[in-house]
Amino acid sequence: MSLTDDRAALDQWYTLGALQDFPDGAEVHSRLLGEDLTVRRLADGVEVRAAGRALPVRTEYGHLWTSFGTPERNLFELPESREPDRRWIHCGPVRVRASGLRLVENFLDLAHFPYVHTDILGSEAHPEVAKYEVEQRRDVDELWATKCEFYQPKAAAASDEGQISKYMYRVVSPFNVMLYKTPPTAPDRWDVIALFVQPVDEAVSVANAFMLVIDDTSTDAELSAFQQMIFVQDKIVLENQRPSLLPLQPGRETPTRADLSSVLYRRWLKEKQLRFGTEPRTDLPNA
Amino acid sequence: MADWIPIALSRDVPVGITRAVIVDTREVMIWRGEDGVAQVWEDRCPHRGMRLSLGFVRGNALNCLYHGWQYGAGANCLRIPAHPDLTVPPTIRANAFAAAETGGMVWMSDDSAAPPPQLPALTPVISLAIEVAPERVLAELGGSTAEPLIELPFAADTLQIGWHRVHAAKTMLHATGAGADIGAATAHLRALRQNLEQGVAA
Repeated sequence: MSLTDDRAALDQWYTLGALQDFPDGAEVHSRLLGEDLTVRRLADGVEVRAAGRALPVRTEYGHLWTSFGTPERNLFELPESREPDRRWIHCGPVRVRASGLRLVENFLDLAHFPYVHTDILGSEAHPEVAKYEVEQRRDVDELWATKCEFYQPKAAAASDEGQISKYMYRVVSPFNVMLYKTPPTAPDRWDVIALFVQPVDEAVSVANAFMLVIDDTSTDAELSAFQQMIFVQDKIVLENQRPSLLPLQPGRETPTRADLSSVLYRRWLKEKQLRFGTEPRTDLPNA
Repeated sequence: MADWIPIALSRDVPVGITRAVIVDTREVMIWRGEDGVAQVWEDRCPHRGMRLSLGFVRGNALNCLYHGWQYGAGANCLRIPAHPDLTVPPTIRANAFAAAETGGMVWMSDDSAAPPPQLPALTPVISLAIEVAPERVLAELGGSTAEPLIELPFAADTLQIGWHRVHAAKTMLHATGAGADIGAATAHLRALRQNLEQGVAA
């Protein structure tokens, strides 16, 4: 497989991982959208090259970002990254044999908590997904799901007891998503947990979780281990979905009201005419 | 390929168990609820494509691991936990194949109109995966790809071996016998497998 010709996928920013994982001077081999890359950390910055050409580079939010194309927008805003009392926790990279779009969709999903993260993020006794709101914010080209609530036996590393967690979800690009969630220790603020997906090939992804949390009791290792445990549970599901590419063709899967954010996400991907990581469609002319 | 395909030994699908099987490149799954009836379905939840073989059986229902969607023996979805008060529309159903059990094996068919074969109850010996094309396996064992069963004389017994194609270069055998010495028959079949696989490698 070689570099995709999918314009919508090429013209995006992608993470290649946490900056801390690119040691000074070392050449690191990576892969994005079906093409091999080399990353070199130099005294005056980071160089990313593919097929003999230098790619644009950004270093933001503790991560390295690049693009093969010409992104319409700058990298997304993350104002919480400027708040001094937040802990920055990286978790990953975790390699997953599935489309990155499946990873994002799973990240947006509340209904799996009782079954995949049993007695942690959800419990079988409280499986109901209450109605929430979704919107496409066209000025920033982001998707938001708000007023999400879910009963969680152990919402975070610092939780001692169950709580009704409030969530907001924000999709900033097809492969980058974050959630805002009430911390157990600071109910008036929002923890931020981001999932930055590096789409390696159509059905191979690398997941980078990044947390900006309010928690003065847990250690870094505890915070990271909690997220790692959650993600390993998700990986089992993600590698066993069929097809491993995200289907956009109507009727291939069966959404319900709890899947409102997924419905909006798929519609948005179609609007962007994104193909990388999606199942080939047979219902379109000249497909 | 025959109308009815043997895809597992009944013994290997006890009550409360799910089992994934690949039949001619298709991912299918078998499960058996408390009523004892083996069900053969496409290995895919219609909701988000999750493989149902990773799900769990409770009573006479199969539950998807991902969101707990519950399916009854008729393959219709009975319950969507995220919406406890919802009456699930009858259009939401898993994709079920026709299933039957005879001769100590679970059989599936794409065409439920054709009656399943009627075989005497036999003793299960072993299911074996062989990394060799079915055409070659059947030629070696004296069977025919037009027939779902191979009759293989062994000692004083005749083994009845169901087979199915996993893909072009892999075959599954499901061996049963009338009064076979199971240990000896198993060893015999394993030796046949070794010969076949070495023959392919050579």
